[in-house]
Amino acid sequence: MNVIETSKLTKYYGKARGIIDISFQVEEGEVFGFIGPNGAGKSTSIRLLLSLIYPTGGSAKIFGKDVIKEGPEIRQDIGYLPSEIFYYERMKVIDLLKYSASFYKKDTTERMHELAEYMELDLNRRIEDLSYGNKKKVGIVQGLLHSPRLLLLDEPTLGLDPLMQRKFFSLIRQENARGVTVFFSSHILSEVQRLCSRVGIIKEGRIIEISDIRTLQQNNYKRIEVTVRDLPPDYFALPGVTNLEATNGGVRFFFKGDIDGIVARISALDLIDVTIEEPTLEEIFMHYYE
Amino acid sequence: MNIFLRELRANLKSLIIWSIIIFLLIWIAMVKFSAYASNPEMLAILDSMPKTLMDAMNMHAFNLTTLSGFFGVMFIYFGLMGAIAAGMWGSNIIAKEERNKTIEFALSLPVSRARFVTAKALAALANSIAFVLITWIASLIAMQSYNPDGAVYRFLALEMMAMFAIELIFLSIGLLVACAMKRPKRTGSIVIGIILVLYYFSMISGLHEKLDFLKYLTPFKYFDAGTLLHQGGVAPVYWALSVVIILISLTGAYYAYNRRDMYI
Repeated sequence: MNVIETSKLTKYYGKARGIIDISFQVEEGEVFGFIGPNGAGKSTSIRLLLSLIYPTGGSAKIFGKDVIKEGPEIRQDIGYLPSEIFYYERMKVIDLLKYSASFYKKDTTERMHELAEYMELDLNRRIEDLSYGNKKKVGIVQGLLHSPRLLLLDEPTLGLDPLMQRKFFSLIRQENARGVTVFFSSHILSEVQRLCSRVGIIKEGRIIEISDIRTLQQNNYKRIEVTVRDLPPDYFALPGVTNLEATNGGVRFFFKGDIDGIVARISALDLIDVTIEEPTLEEIFMHYYE
Repeated sequence: MNIFLRELRANLKSLIIWSIIIFLLIWIAMVKFSAYASNPEMLAILDSMPKTLMDAMNMHAFNLTTLSGFFGVMFIYFGLMGAIAAGMWGSNIIAKEERNKTIEFALSLPVSRARFVTAKALAALANSIAFVLITWIASLIAMQSYNPDGAVYRFLALEMMAMFAIELIFLSIGLLVACAMKRPKRTGSIVIGIILVLYYFSMISGLHEKLDFLKYLTPFKYFDAGTLLHQGGVAPVYWALSVVIILISLTGAYYAYNRRDMYI
């Protein structure tokens, strides 16, 4: 079953581009990564899913229901962690969490305390006295306390120290193991790599690639670096070679295509050293953005 | 219910401040009244004031040396304070969520925008009711040493009803402005602007025949203390206009808020 399903979702802010023709599906139980630089349209997409803003075109469904028409009902089962957290400043953490909990149909007290303890959150402080990272912790507890079936995470680790990030990731893994679907937006690839099974790459408002994280790494590109004694000019100016750059005594490039051919061509050289490896997601990503 | 209660708590401070202001206002006014009360010389002084000024301040209708007359003039302040307080409550209760960026949290909860606005409007309404009651109580306390009779009590009750009606009108207008506008930082000043312009209309409408039509445009004229005192009520056309303004504002507020993008 598809938990999220968007079809040609488009949003313009006046004339300014938000997102254009975004279509994707996220299956139940999946951890879907949504990668792109700042301003690519990640937050816009998530806010459309929550119907905080309305699309200029296209539509989106969550749990098979239209996000606008059945928004309140859908949101019973969504946990949302925005990239920047703003809560009612004068409230105490505990009151804020209880307030949030009062909107859900189930009893959440036990889960709330469990999460707060796990995230080492002081419940008796006022929101306005909290540091950025501590507000984020409140956000995590608030987003998870009602045991949602879908988590929408928008740059969730922003402001968390590495220790808390690890705790957070393991929390998300536990949730996912219970069958919770996770939609994870980020511009930090390493964390997406750690967590997600599938990624969508968004650039300037459009999705330019959706694929399995493993295929993204494996099937296409090899990162090749050769060190040679004497390299003829333009020796690697071949189809399939990209990002060619000279190194100290050799070249480095990405290659996509017939691996046998390129290896033969490399072996014809007077080699000192050669490496052929999987590119990191970071490098693939940079490739898409060039 | 949760939104309503949270808003009541969040707005309590504002209600207390407004109550202190109205207490002070009435107290200062009563100090002045002690000089006017049953003092024929005062009448002579007032008679010598320019007619236009008296018209603008709507003071010709009242005998300032009596309790009823004095509270008739006081109604200018009751109406204006009620309008500003309710207008600000109505607009702020919606606009603050976007101004403080809490709207992203508030509307990602399982609540519809209509329920959200309703709960907030009711909280602002509760504040408005409390404000009228406090004004009423403060007035009753203030007039006790001047032996008010039944007629004075009845007139004060009428004034409080009129003040409440003015509050309802500007509460709805405040809600409309905040719900329809995407610039949450400006809503407060726009509401105040509307109130002051309408109040100005009410001041100049009595000055010239050609400006007489303004009395239909400004709620401050619908509830004229002179008419309340001498005719014991408000003409049906003004009640009708009030209801129309409130209904249009509320409908517009819900319609706009349901359709527009939140400002995040």
